[in-house]
Amino acid sequence: MSNSSHNDSRFERAANDDAQVLDSHEKALGPQKDDAGNYNLRPLLMLFLLSTFVLFAATYVNRYSGHYSASIYNETALPHTGAEVVVKADPVAAGKKLFNSPGACYSCHQPNGQGIAGVYPPLAGSEWVTGSEERVVRILLHGLKGQVTVSGTSYAGAAAMPAFGTAGYNWTDEKIANVLTYIRQEWGNKGAVITADAVARIRSQAGDRKEWSSTELLQIK
Amino acid sequence: MTHASTSPSADSADQTPAESTGRYPLLYLLGSSVLWLVVSGVFALITSIQLHTPSFLAECPVLSYGRVRAMAETSFIYGWIGNVGLGLALWILARLSGEKLRGANWVFVGALFWNLAVTVALGGLALGDLTSISMYQLPSYVQPLLFCSYGGIAVAGLLSWTGRRREMMFASQWYAIAALFLFPWLLSIAYVMLECSPVRGVLQAVVGGWYAQGLWTLWIAPLALTSGYYVVPRMSGKVIPAYDSAALGFWTLLVVGGWTGARHLIGGPIPAWISSVAIVMTVTLVFHYIVVFLNLRMALKGGSLSLGFVAIGLICYVSGGFVDALTSMRAYAAITQFTVYEDAQKLLALYGGASMMFFGALYFALPRLKGAAWSSGALIKGQLILSAVGILVTVLSLAAAGLVQGNALADAKVNFSDIAVQMRPYLLVASAGQFIILTSSLLLAVNFLKTVITCCCKSDSSKEGALAS
Amino acid sequence: MKNGSLFFLGLFAALGLAWVGIVVSSNAQIGSLAGYYDDTDSTSYPARPSGLAAQGALVYKDLGCASCHTQQVRRPGFGSDQDRGWGERQSVARDYIYQTSVQLGESRIGQDLTNLAGRKPSAPDQDDLLHMLYQGQGAMPSYQFLFETHKIQGEASSEALKLTGKQKPQSGFEIIPTTRAKELVAYLLSLNTTYDYPEAHPVAGAKGEGEK
Repeated sequence: MSNSSHNDSRFERAANDDAQVLDSHEKALGPQKDDAGNYNLRPLLMLFLLSTFVLFAATYVNRYSGHYSASIYNETALPHTGAEVVVKADPVAAGKKLFNSPGACYSCHQPNGQGIAGVYPPLAGSEWVTGSEERVVRILLHGLKGQVTVSGTSYAGAAAMPAFGTAGYNWTDEKIANVLTYIRQEWGNKGAVITADAVARIRSQAGDRKEWSSTELLQIK
Repeated sequence: MTHASTSPSADSADQTPAESTGRYPLLYLLGSSVLWLVVSGVFALITSIQLHTPSFLAECPVLSYGRVRAMAETSFIYGWIGNVGLGLALWILARLSGEKLRGANWVFVGALFWNLAVTVALGGLALGDLTSISMYQLPSYVQPLLFCSYGGIAVAGLLSWTGRRREMMFASQWYAIAALFLFPWLLSIAYVMLECSPVRGVLQAVVGGWYAQGLWTLWIAPLALTSGYYVVPRMSGKVIPAYDSAALGFWTLLVVGGWTGARHLIGGPIPAWISSVAIVMTVTLVFHYIVVFLNLRMALKGGSLSLGFVAIGLICYVSGGFVDALTSMRAYAAITQFTVYEDAQKLLALYGGASMMFFGALYFALPRLKGAAWSSGALIKGQLILSAVGILVTVLSLAAAGLVQGNALADAKVNFSDIAVQMRPYLLVASAGQFIILTSSLLLAVNFLKTVITCCCKSDSSKEGALAS
Repeated sequence: MKNGSLFFLGLFAALGLAWVGIVVSSNAQIGSLAGYYDDTDSTSYPARPSGLAAQGALVYKDLGCASCHTQQVRRPGFGSDQDRGWGERQSVARDYIYQTSVQLGESRIGQDLTNLAGRKPSAPDQDDLLHMLYQGQGAMPSYQFLFETHKIQGEASSEALKLTGKQKPQSGFEIIPTTRAKELVAYLLSLNTTYDYPEAHPVAGAKGEGEK
């Protein structure tokens, strides 16, 4: 046959056989003939290249690793080192959520704060809401029972307002402060913010007791 | 001498003991791989058409886009690449060992059950048992069967390696053994962590990404390089240049490759360090591609069709690696992520890189396995040209579509529904490219069938196609 | 390379290192993430999906919707996810802990769906989604096999789709969504990630890679 190695594309002859491939490559890895004492730079260059890649990798990962933290999802926004950063929730938004949570305020006082005529007093425009914080915090802590006059209208009080600060609802000072802040600034009401500290102070002052009556509350300023 | 009436007889010196036992199991593996190549090409064409014409086959739930895409992927990776990669790896290991292929019957049984598993997987995918994890679209009931049948195939390769005549190992052997050994670990870990007792939440995506990239860097690429490193010195007759760096390239691929898993999850709902590590590892992997290019650049000199396939494979493989490194950086990922650009990258790597190297070795191996030359040289040339054109057309058009899509997505002022309109012309060209690729696969299939079946039909005493024994 | 067992150990170590480094360590970090308990609402977030929505998640997976739709909102500055109104904040791992099969998706042929039901100013409702599934829209194919054509017996069903023009069924017939369609829509309507977890809002700013 022709000694050209590729004479017909239907069967292309190889230029050598397996044994020759293995031999020649075993020799290539072994000691080489040293011509003119030249040092072979290429292996060193390859190592240098690999090291450059590793250096780049280490630098990049150091910069964008997000401290390998499980809670850092954004490598460009790293939290401050040092003090814990507390994300403060907006009290009015939290209060609104509480107001509308299942079984809470909205079910009687209605989402629009109008209450139900003759049964539940409104919160919109109510002097109890925008007035003294001593009274309104106590109402939420221990509940209100009996007749109450709101915006000139009398409510018999057949349905008592439950206690939110004690067993049952057991709302924390912060929850009570949030929901009160919300109703004092909603539906046209203009009342000041109530803080959790104020609720805590009033809670410890008033102690543990049954529902208030409106006469008792009116005596408190 | 191009169209002699008698096909050239194979040089008897190129028959080794490996062919004596390995002939039928390996021919079966190579034959079924070609069949899967055509099947996956059909599915890929359907998905390509559905991208720009969503109403195509939309009435049929079995052929809805999500399912066909999964079927295309599974038949390509586990059908085509699984069969051809393992078949060629076993053949090369056996030849380099100097012994016959031991456990050949097990190979045959394993291959039969492997193809059964892939067929059942496709049926399951058509009926909706998707895993939603790219490159891991294997219904859970299929995986144990796949695992066991793999064992039957891989053991033969292992025996060829432990029983080799010479102690030294050539580069093909390193890559082949690495691929054979690492795949079952990848599959079983993914099976346990995703199917048996699934990890929670986004970790599924992390494990899935680790599996998918691991499959590419630790299984598919080594199988492809087994073929590349074998064909180049055999056809060129020369020693591989810079061969002393080949080991460094090999270990870089294995050690670094497994870490690139979260590359596609950049910006995703995972801790940021995972993607940062993936980015740096993808860039470091460029070293491996440089080494492979230095080693296999003899293929670019051409001279034979096998080397022609390997040359195109080499160019696609290396450029794919560079493109991966570039687009993994966040500044570029912000544009190309979630676009069809990633499909272009996948095609470049899996078809342009790995499959072309497999074609080169397949055209080299079959005459030696069969003992007779290919039926038609024109069909080989035809496949070379058509697949090169197909790769060029499809990859470039998908990349262009991806860039258009990415830039439009990044601009919030562009209406989302306008994006599909802007992409359409490029997607039409991409479908044409997929059609060209399918045609080239059909040329291979026809050539393969004619080579294998013709010789079986003719009696052994016939001079045509006879082999000097 | 001559020592066979050393070679095997090297292969095993290469795979093992990557597995430990990526999979095991991230599993240790976020593998047992629990819900976040909000004191003011006395609720734990994220909410577990309802029965119909959970069934719908299976339909979503089964049709391969994740091949065109993603379910992850990226951080501000990385693409325009938030500018497009797809989400109010970056998605974090906690959003996905109660999903049996996470469908993060890899391609945006279709829109991101993380916060579909929580989109402002207007989120799609059940009718919108059923119509979109029936008719297709843009690059999305029509999924008419999720619907049935029934002969109208007596009164028209309340579930029938209100279609116009060419899409209208012939007179005397109506298009009803199948159970799968209803489950899928319930699932899509449950996709809501508006809750602000602490880790979703980092504090300081630093320059990102490639950003000015």
